Amino acid sequence: MQDWLGTKNVFKQKSPGVHWSRRTRQNFWLGMIFLLPWTIGFILFTFYPMAASFVYSFAEYHTRKPLVWVGLDNYVAMFTDKLFWISLENTLYMVAIGVPLTLLASFLCAVLLNLKVRGQSIYRVIYFLPSIVPTVASTLLWLWILNPQSGVMNTLLGYLGIPGPNWLGNPNWSKPSLILLGMWGMGSTIVIYLSGLQDVPTHLLEAAELDGASWLQRLRYITIPMVSPITLFNLITGMIWMFQYFAQAYVFRGTNDLGAPLDSTLFYSVYLYQAGFQYLKIGYASAMAWVLFLIILACTLLMLKVSERFTYYAG
Amino acid sequence: MDTDLSLERSRVRRESEQERRASRRRKGLRNFLKSLFSHGLINLVGLFFLIPFIWMLSTAFKTDQDVFHTPPRWLPYDNVRVELNGQQLPLYNVRTAQGVRKLALVKIAAGVGTFVDPQDPLQQLQSKFQQGTTVLAEPIMQISFQWHNYPDAMSRGSRPGVGASFWVYFENSLVIAFFTIVGTLLANTPVAYAFARIKFPGREILFVIVLATMMLPYQVTMIPIYLFFNDFLHWKNTFLPLIIPAFFANAYDVFLLRQFFRTIPEEMCDAARVDGASEWQIFTRIVLPLSVPVLATVTVFTFLYAWNDFTGPLLFLDKPNMFTMALGLRDFQGQRTMVWNQLMAASVVFTVPIVIAFFFAQKTFIQGIKLTGLKE
Repeated sequence: MQDWLGTKNVFKQKSPGVHWSRRTRQNFWLGMIFLLPWTIGFILFTFYPMAASFVYSFAEYHTRKPLVWVGLDNYVAMFTDKLFWISLENTLYMVAIGVPLTLLASFLCAVLLNLKVRGQSIYRVIYFLPSIVPTVASTLLWLWILNPQSGVMNTLLGYLGIPGPNWLGNPNWSKPSLILLGMWGMGSTIVIYLSGLQDVPTHLLEAAELDGASWLQRLRYITIPMVSPITLFNLITGMIWMFQYFAQAYVFRGTNDLGAPLDSTLFYSVYLYQAGFQYLKIGYASAMAWVLFLIILACTLLMLKVSERFTYYAG
Repeated sequence: MDTDLSLERSRVRRESEQERRASRRRKGLRNFLKSLFSHGLINLVGLFFLIPFIWMLSTAFKTDQDVFHTPPRWLPYDNVRVELNGQQLPLYNVRTAQGVRKLALVKIAAGVGTFVDPQDPLQQLQSKFQQGTTVLAEPIMQISFQWHNYPDAMSRGSRPGVGASFWVYFENSLVIAFFTIVGTLLANTPVAYAFARIKFPGREILFVIVLATMMLPYQVTMIPIYLFFNDFLHWKNTFLPLIIPAFFANAYDVFLLRQFFRTIPEEMCDAARVDGASEWQIFTRIVLPLSVPVLATVTVFTFLYAWNDFTGPLLFLDKPNMFTMALGLRDFQGQRTMVWNQLMAASVVFTVPIVIAFFFAQKTFIQGIKLTGLKE
């Protein structure tokens, strides 16, 4: 991982002592000047907001009124807030079911697109194109597709003799609907997998074929292990992204109807937005944000730890 | 004896020839079935990606009534009309005592339609539309594309009476995207250059900090940034809170640009240094001109990001004349009555710039995704 970033031995660097040569000193100031657009931005839009939201999370805060310290009250309140747990549960559902399902689907799509068929490049464009449709447009489109009376989804299911559900109106189907919408736009994940498939050494596949390995065996014992670092990458980015799932859920239900039906689409970030911007509980929303950060951090580290056993790095 | 042997030999040869041919046929058949299967599968999955587009376009061309036709139709249909006394009247197949006749509908009252014969407008006839399950009067339809849905959708606003139309939203989105691109290119290139080519102490650790900021969820910084722009600077309902942050470097673009800058031969920069060029000159005269492909990638992805952004505009813009396309579309959908055909038409207009960009810069798109694994 560090090799890939080109930042070997970050922490073993010689500490910048007092014995800098003239050249080093010159380079240091030069570097700092070139870095200014980042440094100022980091202080203004990362460091200060992080510190501020950390402070807010221990306070009750209304704009134009002074801060009132409440200690850990905001964090304690989460434990007894039913909506908080519902939103966390909904989000975990999407992370635990939506992310792996989407990953599996995009891997299979990449395998399909890697087959030598006529018109391969056209298929690749078709599979990819939905991913660049703006989120709001694709969400509205799926809202219309999944319309239970006039939508195309239930019509197609009707051709097959399957009575379609009331997708978004049914609390059991609202999250699968959103997963489906996500799968429609998984083109970038497919592209990443596809580039990984193209990097699988052909000599390995050919050798296995000569030894009589079937297509399925080659997939299982060569291809899947070879793309496992990509799976890990997609899994982690997908998870981080899913924990922050917001725009699609917001557009699906609209401002006055957030979380409907029966709070089944009340995701963590949606509830956080509600708490901060609709109920104006800035302290509580900040505390929620920090808890989210810790959850994401913990899940990422856990995944990296667990993956050591399943991931194969060539070379 | 001799002839027997040769006969035997030729027989064996013939048989093995046949066997080989049969095996080739079998193999051919198996390959054929295999390719049939993979073609079938790739097409079936392709339909999942393609049908929503078709549905979007088809809806955008439909009339208001046709949108809600059950079962839904793939192609847009409209009534066949005739002109009578300066009025466009829909034609119906009406069951009469003289058999089925083509009549024009004049008015409907209490479930009973008044029809006239277009050839003989004075002859009026009353008929119900349906009696039990038998259809008595059925509209005559034809395939017809409602092109006017596009200008209709674009010239209306999401909220009636405010005066802002989707053209304004479109323009707002373009303005924001343009300045975001300018800011991103100006701010990220020098930072990436420093990380790629200037050997200053502390470079590696700073770069790790840059990458670490990618991990930070937006929710953590969202509220203080909102309060800073909104309450401290009073920039609500201006584009500044969306544009100004782009003029400071961000981790994704720094990473992308740095990876590319590192592929430019160090010797070229060193040669320039020996000739007395300053770092700024090396950066602007040597590295940037060689980096056009990656600058294109950054431009395309920044456009995509800015054009697509929903949360930012949602936080900072609530005056309809400042809406972006994303915000306007959502607001449009929030209305009580769903005008799906116009909503889809506006969505098409929203999507088309990106699709055009994709077809012009396919390689750039794919390269950018491979490099950063950009989501959304």
